[in-house]
Amino acid sequence: MRRHLGALVLVGPLALFVALFFLWPLATVMTQAVADSTVGQALPATSGAAPDWDRQSPPPEELKAALVEDLRNLDNRQLFGDIVRRLNSVQPGFRTLMGRTMTAISRADGPVDLSSVDRRWDDPVYWRAIVGVLAPYTDRHLLAALDLERDGAGAIVPIPAGESANRTILLRTFWVAAVVTVACAVIGLPYAMLVASVGGWLRQILLAAILLPLWTSLLVRTAAWYILLQDRGLINDALRSVGLIDAPLPLLFNRAGVVIAMTHVLLPLMVLPIYSVLVAIPKNLMPAAASLGAPPLRAFLRILLPLSFRGLLSGSLLVFMTAIGYYITPALIGGPQDQMISSIIAFYATGSANWGMAAALGVLLLAATMVLYIVYGWLSTDRTARA
Amino acid sequence: MLRIARIIFGAAAVLFLLAPLAAILPMAFTSSVFLTYPIPDFSLRWFEELFTAGAWRRSIINSLIVGFGTTVLATVLGTLAAVGLRGRFVLSGSVRTLFLLPMVVPAVVLGVGMQILFARIGIASSYLGVIIAHTVLAVPFVLVSVTASLDGIDRSVERAALSRGATPPSVLLRETLPLAAPGVISGAVLAFATSLDEVVLTLFVAGPNQRTLARQMFSTIRENISPAIAAAAFLFIAGTILLALLVLLVRRRFKAPAPETAAEA
Amino acid sequence: MPGRDSYRTVFPVQPRIRFHCVSKSFGSLSVIDDLSLDIAAGEFVSLLGPSGSGKTTILMILAGFEAPTSGEVLLDGRRIDHLPPYRRDMGVVFQDYALFPHMTVAENIAFPLKMRGIGRAEAAAKVARVLDMVQMGSMRDRRPSQLSGGQKQRVALARALVFEPSVVLMDEPLAALDKQLREQMQLDIRDLHRRLGLTVVFVTHDQSEALTMSDRIAVFNRGRVEQIGTPREIYDRPATRFVADFIGETNLVEGVVRDRDGGCAVVGLARGGSLSVAAANGLAAGQRVLVSIRPERIALGRERPAGPNTLRARIVDTVYQGDHLRVLLDDGAFGFVVRMDRRATEWPEGAEVVASVDPADCWVIPL
Repeated sequence: MRRHLGALVLVGPLALFVALFFLWPLATVMTQAVADSTVGQALPATSGAAPDWDRQSPPPEELKAALVEDLRNLDNRQLFGDIVRRLNSVQPGFRTLMGRTMTAISRADGPVDLSSVDRRWDDPVYWRAIVGVLAPYTDRHLLAALDLERDGAGAIVPIPAGESANRTILLRTFWVAAVVTVACAVIGLPYAMLVASVGGWLRQILLAAILLPLWTSLLVRTAAWYILLQDRGLINDALRSVGLIDAPLPLLFNRAGVVIAMTHVLLPLMVLPIYSVLVAIPKNLMPAAASLGAPPLRAFLRILLPLSFRGLLSGSLLVFMTAIGYYITPALIGGPQDQMISSIIAFYATGSANWGMAAALGVLLLAATMVLYIVYGWLSTDRTARA
Repeated sequence: MLRIARIIFGAAAVLFLLAPLAAILPMAFTSSVFLTYPIPDFSLRWFEELFTAGAWRRSIINSLIVGFGTTVLATVLGTLAAVGLRGRFVLSGSVRTLFLLPMVVPAVVLGVGMQILFARIGIASSYLGVIIAHTVLAVPFVLVSVTASLDGIDRSVERAALSRGATPPSVLLRETLPLAAPGVISGAVLAFATSLDEVVLTLFVAGPNQRTLARQMFSTIRENISPAIAAAAFLFIAGTILLALLVLLVRRRFKAPAPETAAEA
Repeated sequence: MPGRDSYRTVFPVQPRIRFHCVSKSFGSLSVIDDLSLDIAAGEFVSLLGPSGSGKTTILMILAGFEAPTSGEVLLDGRRIDHLPPYRRDMGVVFQDYALFPHMTVAENIAFPLKMRGIGRAEAAAKVARVLDMVQMGSMRDRRPSQLSGGQKQRVALARALVFEPSVVLMDEPLAALDKQLREQMQLDIRDLHRRLGLTVVFVTHDQSEALTMSDRIAVFNRGRVEQIGTPREIYDRPATRFVADFIGETNLVEGVVRDRDGGCAVVGLARGGSLSVAAANGLAAGQRVLVSIRPERIALGRERPAGPNTLRARIVDTVYQGDHLRVLLDDGAFGFVVRMDRRATEWPEGAEVVASVDPADCWVIPL
C-alpha cells in the first residue's frame, strides 16, 4: 500500500501535466468539432421554450413569443446575419422571412403576432430549423469535413460539387501516405535485409546511415531536399550534366518532391522495425531451408519474407500513421495541389479562425491515427506466432 | 550477380539517406545569395547574418530559453514518473502507454487543441505556453530513456540500502538516481533536441515574441529562402553531434547499459 | 548393417561418403588439415571432439554450407563439393532445431517435400508416417513455439528424414536437452537408424553420447582426426594421448620399454617402478611410451596378490557415486583413480592398500 502511494506521488505530477496539457487540448478539439453554442446563446428565451414543443404540431404561442423577445433584444447585427445564414442553409426562405419579421418587430413595441407577419411562421418546418440550430451540439462540422451536409429534412446528403474540397484532400492525404509507405517498404525491406545480412563495420555504417537522418532535425532535412530538388539543384544539375534531360525536371512544389522528401524522412521508421524482426530470426533457418532443398529465391520467399512480414507490417503502419499527420514537409516542399489534411487544419485554425472545421478535420485525423496505432500496438505485443 | 546488385542497392540507399545532409552543410559557407552549387566563394556571411540580424538572433535566444525550460520541466516530470512506474502495479502499462501517446498524436491536432485551450486559460503567446507545449512532446523521450536505464539497475543495491534502514526517498536520491543518471542525461538531451526542432505546436501556441529558431527557419524556407537556412542547419547538425558526443561520453563514464532511444520518434 | 566390432577398414564396396584429402582454412587459420575419411552406407559415424576441433566444419562442408579449401568430397562416388546445399540430398538436424516458426509442425515437415514438387496427397501421407515414427502424430498442427525442446527435436528429426535423404547429418542435436531426455533421444535415434538403415553423420562433443550411438567414432583434435574406430577400439585401444584422455577417464603414466618377452613387455616408468604390459607387438626396447590404465581395471586388496603390476598405495578419498565408487589413491609419487563396484568394501581414508592391474589391461601408446 505504501509502495503504491509512493508511486502515485512520483507519477502524479506527470499524470496531471498530461491530463491538463495533452488530454484536455484533445478533448477541446473534440468538443469544438461538435460544439455550436452561438445561436443558443444569442436566443436564450427561444432555447428555453424549445424543449416543450414536440416538433410536429403547430408551434405554440410561447415559442413564438420567446423568439420575438429574443429578436428584439438582439442588437448585434453581425450575429443576426450569422443566424440568418445558418437558418437559410438549413431551410431556404429564411432570409426574406427573418428580414420581414425583424422589420415588424422593430416597428411594434408590444407583442407581435408572427402568423400575421408571415404565413410561413405557422409551418413547423421553419420552427424545426430554428430548434435545430439552437442545439448546443451539431454534426455539421464533422459532416462538412467529409463534404456532407443535412438537407431541410435532416437527411445526410453530399454538398454540391465544387463547393468544398475536403474529401479530395482526405483522399489525397491517404493516397500520398500510401505512396510514401510503399516507397519506404520498397527501399526499406531490402535495406533492412542488407543490414541484417552483413556484419561488423559494414553493418555499423548502414545502421548509422539510417539513424543519422533520424537524429537530424526535420527542418534541416526538409531544407536540404529543397536545395537538392530545386530547378538549379544538385539532382537536376547531375541529370543535365550526364545528358539525361535538357530542361530541369520540376521536382519542387509538386507531388514528386513531397513523396521523395517524405520517403527520406520516414524511411528509418520502416527500416528499424523490419531490422529488429530480422535480427531476431535464428541464423540457421536459411541454411536449414537450403539443406531441405530450397534454392535461395524460394527460401527467401518461403522463409525470410514471411518472417519479416510482421516487421514490414509494423513499419508500414508506423510510416502510414505518421505520414497522414505530416505537415511540415508538404507545407514546404509541396505545391497547393499537394497539401494534406494537416495543412487544411492549420489553414482553418490559423488562417480563417474556423475552429469548428479545424477541429472536425482534426478529429477525423486523430481517429484514423488512433485506429492505426491500436493495430500497431496489438501487432507489436502479440508474439504467439513467434518461436 | 546478386552480390553486385546488393552492393549497388546498398550504396544507392546510403546515398539517398545521406546526400541531403551532405548537400546542405557546405551551403552554409557560400558567398552567394542563392542556394545553388557550385559555391562561388567561401564566406561566413550567413553565419554573421544569423547572429546579427534581429529576427534570427531573437529566434536563437528564444530557442535557448524554450529549450532550457522544456528540458528542465520534461526531465523532472519524466524522471519522477519513470521511477514511479518502475514497480509494476495495476494499470502501470496503460499509464505508460498514455504517457507515450504524444509521440503518436498528429501534432497539428494537438496544436489546434492547445491554441484554443491556451487562449482560454491565458497562456497563449507566452514562453510558458510554448515550454508547456514542447514539454508534452519531450516527456515521452525522457520517460523511455530513464525507464531503459532503470531497467538495467540491479535492484539488490537498493534492497541492501533499504535493509540497512535507509528511507525510500533517500534510497531514491542516493542510490537509484545516480545509477540512472546516464538515462536521465540522455533523456534531457533528447528533450532539448525535441524542443529545438519543434515547429508545428510552436506555430499554434507561440506569438511573434516567442518565435523559435525552428519556427524562423520554417517561415524562411516558406517565404524567402536564403543560405541563412543552411547556416542554421549547420548549427543544428553541429549541435546534434555535440549533444550525441556528450551523451556518449556520459554513458561511457557511467558504463550503464545504453537505453534504446529515438527508435519510435 | 555393420556390427559394431566387425567393422572393416577396407571397404569392399564404394563408400557412401568419402572425404579425400580435405583441407579448410579461414585466412591463415587452418580448421581442417588434410582429412580423409570414408563412411559406409548405413553406418552411424560420430565426429567427436572438443569445440573448435573442426568437427562442425566437416559437417558444414558435407552439407554444402562451407566449401573445402582443397580436396574432394564424394557421395556415392560422385563429387559433390561444388554442389549448393539444396542439391545435395542430405537431411540436416541443427543444434537449435531451426524449425520455421511461422509454419505448423506438419508444414515444417512437408517443406522439403514441397521443395521437391511432391504432390499434396503423397506428401500428407509421408508427413503422417514420419510423424508417427517420431511419436509426434498428435502435434501436427502445433507451432514450434508451442512445443517443448524434446518435441522440437523430434520434429526437426522428422523433417530431416521425411524426404529419405541419402545421408542424415546431425549437429549436436541433443546438446540443448536435459540429461534424461537426451538419453531417451539417444536410444530413439539409434533405433531409427537401425530400423531405417540410415547413414548418419553425428557431431557431438559428448563422448558418452558418441559411445552409445555410433558404429564408428572419428575423434577430432585441432582439425585432424586422431583416431577412427569402433567405440570399443576407441575406448580400449586409444591411439594417442589425446584420445585416451578425451574418451572416458584414464590413468596415464609415461615410461620407456625395457624388456620384451613374446607378446609382453616391461615398461620402466619415469616416476620409478615398472609395469608389465601385454599386446606389446611392434614395440621396440628403448621406445618412449605412455601407458593408459582405465580406472575400472585396477583392483584393490589388502594383501599383495600373486602376479606382476602391484603397487602399495594410500587411500586419499572415496567418493560414492551411486552406481560405483570412485577411489583416489596416492603411492607417494603419483596419484591415480580407481573405479570400484558400488558394493565393494569402502576403505577408510589413509588406509594402506595394494593396487593391481592385469598386463592385458595396460594399453601402450607410443609417443
